[in-house]
Amino acid sequence: MIAIQNEDVDIGKLIDEAKQRGTGAIVLFDGIVRDDDIREMELEAYEEVALKELEQIAAEAKKQFDLLSVDIVHRIGRLAVGENILVIIVGAGHREEAYAGSRYIIEAIKAGVPIWKKELRKDGDRWVPGHRPHGCGTNWKSDGST
Amino acid sequence: MSVKIRFFARFRELLGTDVIAEFAPGTSLTGLIKQVAGKNKEGYDAIFDENGTFREFVILMRNTKRVDPAESGNIMVTDGDEIAVFPPVAGG
Repeated sequence: MIAIQNEDVDIGKLIDEAKQRGTGAIVLFDGIVRDDDIREMELEAYEEVALKELEQIAAEAKKQFDLLSVDIVHRIGRLAVGENILVIIVGAGHREEAYAGSRYIIEAIKAGVPIWKKELRKDGDRWVPGHRPHGCGTNWKSDGST
Repeated sequence: MSVKIRFFARFRELLGTDVIAEFAPGTSLTGLIKQVAGKNKEGYDAIFDENGTFREFVILMRNTKRVDPAESGNIMVTDGDEIAVFPPVAGG
């Protein structure tokens, strides 16, 4: 499942569905709204492009790390502290591929997918600064360099 | 002839979203964005510097494909294009 949606996601169900005959490891990444003295967080996406890029990242991760399954659900809209923002579930034969694939996917999303966050703070609202000027795509490398 | 310009995040707050703009033949991508952003000084200043050059962090897309802002003065817009203008991404 690759999706951008307002609704929360049933992580347990996705994990169950990710299990296949060859699956030996599943890694879950769950990005959560942290209590940085904020009231809520508002997320916005260029949905058509972001969805396409999430699909491309999932396909590349599958190929590069020999993954058996990839699920990515990125939420948009207003989220309260403690809510899920981004859920990535990666299934592979072994833990090395699952961990590496999961890490690749989160870094690629942060590097280039057109999604923005605004912190609705008690002392005024603030757009979370982007990580990279020009956000030019998914060129994060598995050694962590960019 | 018209195009749709989509601003996101802070640019959307300043300039609106899904702006339909009319343009004259021979209008460049840069010219079109200046034309539309020029309706709000704060919005214009968020995207362009004092020399009228795109600020280094601005990201452009034309029909969902990234365009180098340095090249956008040489790219002519065509009827029905969808142009997106946004600041650095911060998802995840």
